[in-house]
Amino acid sequence: MNELSFDVVSHAELASVSGVLDSGSHVLLGSERDGTSSVVLLAAGIVKPAAGRVLLAGRVPFSSASARRTIAALCAEERLPTARHAAGAVQLALQARGDTRSALSVLDAAGLAHWAMRRTSDVSARETRALALALALSHPKPALLALYEPLALVGMVQERFLLDALAQLSKNGAIVLATAGRVEDALRLGGEVHALERGIWLDSAESRTPPLQLTLRIQTPDAERLAACLAGAPEISEVTQVGALELLVHGTDLKRVASRVIANARAASLRISALRQDASALESLATARAGIAHAFDAARPQ
Amino acid sequence: MNDVRVGARLAFARLRGPSSALVLAISALTVFAAAALEQRSNAASAPDDVLSGVAFGIALPVLAYLVSERVCDGQRLDRSVDSVARHGADRRHAVLGLLLASGLATALGGAFLVLIALLGAHTLHDASLAFDLRSSIGIALVSGFAYALCFGAASLLGKRGGGRKWALVADFAVGSGASALAALCPRSHVRNLLGGIPALCLSQTSAWFALIAISIACLGVSFVWTTE
Repeated sequence: MNELSFDVVSHAELASVSGVLDSGSHVLLGSERDGTSSVVLLAAGIVKPAAGRVLLAGRVPFSSASARRTIAALCAEERLPTARHAAGAVQLALQARGDTRSALSVLDAAGLAHWAMRRTSDVSARETRALALALALSHPKPALLALYEPLALVGMVQERFLLDALAQLSKNGAIVLATAGRVEDALRLGGEVHALERGIWLDSAESRTPPLQLTLRIQTPDAERLAACLAGAPEISEVTQVGALELLVHGTDLKRVASRVIANARAASLRISALRQDASALESLATARAGIAHAFDAARPQ
Repeated sequence: MNDVRVGARLAFARLRGPSSALVLAISALTVFAAAALEQRSNAASAPDDVLSGVAFGIALPVLAYLVSERVCDGQRLDRSVDSVARHGADRRHAVLGLLLASGLATALGGAFLVLIALLGAHTLHDASLAFDLRSSIGIALVSGFAYALCFGAASLLGKRGGGRKWALVADFAVGSGASALAALCPRSHVRNLLGGIPALCLSQTSAWFALIAISIACLGVSFVWTTE
């Protein structure tokens, strides 16, 4: 059975982490200081836990080459195998995986073919991570995909390509574990949400945070008409009129809410004199953090 | 077998580059200069003196140490293959490939230095040059392998493979003697093959076998002590 388990694992920031992840998409919410980077290193079999046991389908990834061959990983800091050019490094990694495809085809699929002949000494740390992500997403049949902050590489790698590849691999029965430092990124990645808070693993039920509510403050001479235009838009949860010249528009996705407001105003020929995110979004963030802290307290052994 | 090839490719990729060529060139120049000086001071004993002194006594062990440091990327031997092991390569097999590549590079580098040393210590028309070349290059090839595998196995010790440094020091300090401990160091057998005092009164034939045994033992230890 395809299952990744952490059995009372303590390592670096992680404190007695236990948990089981089945096939499907999982998002681990937390920062590097919370231990998300260590989780990826341990799951990928790159480091041995200081205490406890990590198993993938009953095998220890650190000491089983056949288990590691089924793992595709992206770490916080990547080092490609030594080679003169990026393509050479990717080719050596493919050879280690027993993959006969050419490096160029793998890089091309991720839109990174133009980096193939770049000298590895000229490749930045972020670009190295992008190459490692291309390599990870190219795995033909992974049992586990462990990715540290993959959305941080959007810009170098297309977001659509990344999300489609994750969805496809998850559908094929892989365990897809991606970390996210921001709630928005966790929502974009989708899947079951877990959280790490200062090395303590909070399971999905405890860590599921409500989508962040954000507010746009819009100044317009036609507040009433704009409020009527926005009523019923799926991206907008609520519209509140504050006086004759101002509206508060509530929703969860800043980009989509703002786009909807602008599109509707333009369609109705309404003028918007100012549009900005309301400071109360910070309060929402604080509320979300408080929710996680509350779950953290609940998970703490009595 | 694939993972052995991956390890060897990794080692050669790490050895490639201008700094490796520079180190070899500086070593060759130093050895040639020392040989030429010996030849001027005493032409008859120059080949023996330069081989047992600068070439096999200093240049070859130091070259083997530098090659080992380079192929291990300044890490412990077992951690030096992490970049391919994480993609599924068996660390043991990759380490085997890495050590064999390092042995080959050291053997060839050592043979080149010996060639340069003999060219410096002999005149080109010297009748004994061909004989010296044949026997010394054979010793350089086998001892180069032995040194590389010895320092490779020693790289399993220490957080960042500091064991290879201690192996180099031990080879200089202990291997220069003729005790039972010296028999564990390649230096004592190389000295024996060059006509010097043997360790444990071993014959020259035994010295060849001793170097091969050291190489196999180091390869075995490296394989067993590395996690799959």
